[in-house]
Amino acid sequence: MRVLMIEDSARLQSSVSRGLRKAGYAVDGARDGIEGLRLAETNDYDVIVLDLMLPGMDGMTLLGRLRARGNQTHVLVLTARDALESRVEGLSAGADDYLVKPFAFEELLARIQALCRRLYHRKDPWIVIGGLRIDTASRSVTLDGRPVELTPREFMLLEYLALRRGEVVPRAEIEAHIYGDATELMSNAVDSAVCNLRKKITPSGAEPVIRTRRGMGYVLEARTA
Amino acid sequence: MTSIRRRMIGWLLVACSLLWACGGIALYLMVRAGLVMEFDSALEATSVAIAPMSEYTDGKIEFDSGGELMPSFEKRAARPDYFQVLLPDGSTLARSPSLRKKELPLGGGRVDPGAWDLTLPDGMRGRAWVSRFTPKTDEDAPAPEGDPGPGEVTLIVARHRADLDHQLTMLMLAILLVGASTSGATGAVVALVVGRGLRPLTGLGVRASAIDASSLQLRFPTEELPSELLPIAHKLNDLLARLEASFARERRFSADAAHELRTPIAELRTLAEVSLKWPLDGEAARAALNEALGIALQMESIATNLMALTRCEGRLLPTRSEIVPLAPLMDDVWQPLSEKARAKRLSVTMSVSPEAAWKTDPTALRTIVANLLSNAAEYSPVGGTIHLRAEGSNGGGRLTVSNTTFELARADLPHLFDRFWRKDPARSSSSHSGLGLSLAKAYAESLGMRLSADFSGPEELTVELSGGSSEGLPAR
Repeated sequence: MRVLMIEDSARLQSSVSRGLRKAGYAVDGARDGIEGLRLAETNDYDVIVLDLMLPGMDGMTLLGRLRARGNQTHVLVLTARDALESRVEGLSAGADDYLVKPFAFEELLARIQALCRRLYHRKDPWIVIGGLRIDTASRSVTLDGRPVELTPREFMLLEYLALRRGEVVPRAEIEAHIYGDATELMSNAVDSAVCNLRKKITPSGAEPVIRTRRGMGYVLEARTA
Repeated sequence: MTSIRRRMIGWLLVACSLLWACGGIALYLMVRAGLVMEFDSALEATSVAIAPMSEYTDGKIEFDSGGELMPSFEKRAARPDYFQVLLPDGSTLARSPSLRKKELPLGGGRVDPGAWDLTLPDGMRGRAWVSRFTPKTDEDAPAPEGDPGPGEVTLIVARHRADLDHQLTMLMLAILLVGASTSGATGAVVALVVGRGLRPLTGLGVRASAIDASSLQLRFPTEELPSELLPIAHKLNDLLARLEASFARERRFSADAAHELRTPIAELRTLAEVSLKWPLDGEAARAALNEALGIALQMESIATNLMALTRCEGRLLPTRSEIVPLAPLMDDVWQPLSEKARAKRLSVTMSVSPEAAWKTDPTALRTIVANLLSNAAEYSPVGGTIHLRAEGSNGGGRLTVSNTTFELARADLPHLFDRFWRKDPARSSSSHSGLGLSLAKAYAESLGMRLSADFSGPEELTVELSGGSSEGLPAR
């Protein structure tokens, strides 16, 4: 999952970005509204975390322009403005969620996860594919009842493919959503991660659930539980 | 609940009804007096007609109607008239046939000509007229020599007053009827007129009741208001404008304070939570701790400034008064800022008289000057100019800091000294929280001085500190 954080406080952006990356998200950052709008319009993000008081262009204007141009990316407003009218104004302008500073990082993470689920029209945090059970809330995976140890990035890859199961996901989309700009120097990073993930979630002797479509991408087969 | 409309309608109705009642009573009394006078005149005329029937002949008074009495004096008349003629000794000389053997009362001994009400012999109400006259003397039978004459006889004429009473009753009923219907019509007219007259006031009330904290931008229209309500509307509009400005300032303060206080807390909390969840080591841990220290120092600065502001405004700061030379003070305060000024290629001039000195609290004055100079260095654009001037004499002192500004507008001047106010709506800089000028102003006021700001050129802002009271005046 790829997140854009538009926040003028360098310290806050640094901490939140670090936390999100550790949780397996690809994170881009912008320190002002103009740069934030440019990134939001040129990249495909799953969630945008948006501060309201920004230099260059304030958050409400940015949000209004995004929505006016048909951009439907989920936006979480993260601001110090806690007044009721500010919340109503933000949500009415097209924000999908509103969180007031100071906040618990776990809550921010949970809200971003919820917005990601909503992106794929899911309300429950579990994805079950055969013996594979993915808990997107606790970020854990079990295979036939046994826990599977995954790195945050492997989990994000599995979650992304699982949310789009049955659908061929191009490698470029995986790079953009899971790795952000970090894959530029490692063109085989996706292949390597898929290979590792496949080993961890495929029972011995069984057909792998993640299949390669040569020249197209990867697909996680939609097996029923 | 009492309303002006109801009260006015009530009072006007009572007043109109009283006026109508007084008018009705006056009319009734006037008409009644006329009718009674007319009735009495008729009685008197009858009396004048009867009087010649008495004659003094042969030393005696005789009454002779000659069969020419009016039919109304007959016994058979339905409501007969009465008369009785009394001799000077009180005995009856003659009486009308309608009186039979009865007597007419003399009206409590009344013998002067005049009328009074009485109960007639048939028990009905009537009115009588009494007059005194001397009977005429028979020329054919003159009185003997030495005869004293006939003396005066008394004539009483009485008549039923049922017709008069009926007329008076009808008159009263007519007046009551007209009065009642007029009062009713007056009530309707008064209600209509009062309602129409109070319509602007009602409109004012409706508009006022629609105003709440979320609609302070509304104003009372004054174009069609009557002159009596114009001062009220103007005052209310002024009040609303002040309230709107005050609410806007309050909202701005809350939002600015929230940003200034919440953002560093959010930074610190997230830094701590993320570091606890995914611990750092080595140089990264050291950098995180340095970041935490920076945030703590920023919060400490805000807290210190807020506390100082509160103490200043509560006059809780201890002050001491001593001679403070201005030149060394300004040099000392400017020193740490000079590097930043050089980096921004600022042109700085300082014009401070070497002997200028003020008698004031040195710590408070230093805080004021430090804030003014720091703001000038921070907000002057690259290549801008800063002019520092200070003078002092026995008559008063003045310290001005002027700097180039491209961002500020005249509309910003009223907000310059507001707490947490910053021109940049994003409030990006963490080195200034927007408390400096409000703190400087609070310090100045606590010293009895005045701090003000104005444009001294198209793109030059001048902040002036002037001594206003004797305690804060320069010493030499």
